[in-house]
Amino acid sequence: MLTEVESKRLIAEAGIPVIETRLAKTKAQAIALSKEIGLPVALKVVSPDIIHKSDSGGVKLGLASAAQVGRAYSEIVRAARQAAPKGKIQGVSVQKMARPGVEVIMGMSKDDQFGPVLMFGLGGVFVEVLKDVAFRIVPLVKRDAAQMIREIKGYPLLEGYRGQEPANIPVLEDLLLKLSDFVDKTPEIKELDLNPIFAYSDGAVAVDARVILEPTDV
Amino acid sequence: MCEVADTGIGNLDRVFNPRSVAVVGDKRALGFMWLRSLSSFRGNVWSVQIDPNELPGIRELGVTNHLSLLDIPEPVDYVIAAVPRNVAPKIVEDCIQKRVGGVCFFTSGFAETQTEEGQRLQRQIVDMARQSGLNVIGPNCVGVYNPKIGLRHSEAQQYGGGGPVGFIAQSGTHATLFSILAPRSGVRISKSVSYGNAAVLDSTDFLEYLGADSETEIIGLYVEGVRDGRRFFRVARDVGRRKPLVIWKGGETEAGARATASHTGALAQSADVWDALADQCGAIKVNDLDGMIDVMRMLLRPKPVKEGRVGLIGMSGGQAVVLTDTFAKAGLDVPLLTEESYGRLAEFFDIIGGSYRNPLDVSSTFLLAADGAASLMKMLEILEQDRHVDSIVLELFPVIRPFEGGENAADPLLDAIAEFDRRSSKPFMVVVTAGHDEVLAVHARGRLQDRGVLTFPRFERAAYALRRLVDYWRYREGINPN
Repeated sequence: MLTEVESKRLIAEAGIPVIETRLAKTKAQAIALSKEIGLPVALKVVSPDIIHKSDSGGVKLGLASAAQVGRAYSEIVRAARQAAPKGKIQGVSVQKMARPGVEVIMGMSKDDQFGPVLMFGLGGVFVEVLKDVAFRIVPLVKRDAAQMIREIKGYPLLEGYRGQEPANIPVLEDLLLKLSDFVDKTPEIKELDLNPIFAYSDGAVAVDARVILEPTDV
Repeated sequence: MCEVADTGIGNLDRVFNPRSVAVVGDKRALGFMWLRSLSSFRGNVWSVQIDPNELPGIRELGVTNHLSLLDIPEPVDYVIAAVPRNVAPKIVEDCIQKRVGGVCFFTSGFAETQTEEGQRLQRQIVDMARQSGLNVIGPNCVGVYNPKIGLRHSEAQQYGGGGPVGFIAQSGTHATLFSILAPRSGVRISKSVSYGNAAVLDSTDFLEYLGADSETEIIGLYVEGVRDGRRFFRVARDVGRRKPLVIWKGGETEAGARATASHTGALAQSADVWDALADQCGAIKVNDLDGMIDVMRMLLRPKPVKEGRVGLIGMSGGQAVVLTDTFAKAGLDVPLLTEESYGRLAEFFDIIGGSYRNPLDVSSTFLLAADGAASLMKMLEILEQDRHVDSIVLELFPVIRPFEGGENAADPLLDAIAEFDRRSSKPFMVVVTAGHDEVLAVHARGRLQDRGVLTFPRFERAAYALRRLVDYWRYREGINPN
């Protein structure tokens, strides 16, 4: 499994916008990076041995000062050592707090028979509890991307429910097509989650990314 | 593909359109099912059997027997092998040497038994076929049916005329049932094939063949799994752009979720992926044999239905309500009619206890009136002309006088309905519900069907088929279904 920083670099190369995320190996580095990127920032633990970062105290959001960044760094590293005593901790990622938007998820997994399959849904509770998601087999054509977005029950939320900022649907369609193209050309990827992606009226950005590679011994 | 007239060993058209067929190992214990089924075959039929006890039976059927495939004094296009499984490799060897078009193994006891011996024998057949390019269908299947040339695998299958529908089935039972039942409902068959274990040729190969076959306009598929899903998807998407594809997927539930580390992996189930495939290929997904036949009956009608607004006529208040619920639940609209239609209905609609918003509820005593049939025709005509209505559904309840009044008493009514069907530009479906007399209902349905009218025994089946057709035509038109 790739770390968040590695995953995001890969996703960015596919032409999908991601929140700039950089690796800090010390507290001082984290503070320096947060100033460079611009406060407020989010800090997340970077370790191949910790899958559920927020469950194990590995995520701190909305850090608005150097002091807060420093304190968060120490707390994350301490929590990570507790959660995975033998785990390898590469450091802490520093990223700009993204402007909130409609949360969506895009992902890829491999079906035993049909190979890579893309998933689209609304993020958070919609995917986790309601499983309101749509699938298409890679490679997608334009019509597939358009349909899978409109097929989910939560689609009205993307259109700007009760005065919320609507999501730009053509941008999301374009992201799905880029993702399809990317996984089609990258058979080394076994599974992939972009969760969440913040969708805005003028664009979208992946806030977190997780890429799992195929075992290399095959 | 089908126009190629060479005698090459890998030419699948020799299998579907053979000029000569050999049956290896047919015997009395099987009731000589193969040789009997092939009594209708237009080309030459040969038998290969080495058991002397079986020879008199074969002679009685008027079929010439040889002790080996290699002794047959002409090229053989299609071989059906019903031999014990350990003889199968020897038969494959002879088929290769004889350069036959292909061989179908009725024989079972291979990989499907999950025994070491069965799997070893199947691998052996696969290796030999791969090296030589021999077409092997099965094992564990009934192979090809081509009614036009009388190539059958069951004596119950009709022959003599072809049709526009191709059918591909993993299961022999489903191939046999479909090929017997579908033509009875007017769904006539070009070619069908059951392919069992798919050791060599898989559904994709047959889909590719029927996709290119000029005699086949619609393709049905019963499938449980495919070997090379990527290739299946590619071929299905390509064929689906040219011909309607109806998929009946067996084994929708998959045991055991795979261990995954992503949301996407945990959520993607086999059934979802088949649904996605159907969407992406414009294929119509059905759940059973009835659904398959119903959808095909509708596809064969020359009336595309692009919107899902139905005009309904029910024979009683209760039935009209349930009829409406059923179509609405299937995702179809039951709209209000135009003011013009209501004006025209008001001129003659005086049925006590009836109403005419949509559905038109005409009450069960309606056809008793002297002008009942004429009024019904007026209503159908109003729905035909109403621009809010895309298709028309009529319920008939046969436990009423015209149907009970003897053999031909209902003929004027049925003739008028059939006449409307021919004239109407909109899809028209008649649901003949059973009431308490299924025999009368079957009779009425048959007589309407004989007159070319699309009939259904239950509201659900009509609604289900119509909904699938609406989705399909939207796909064809490139209209977004939402």
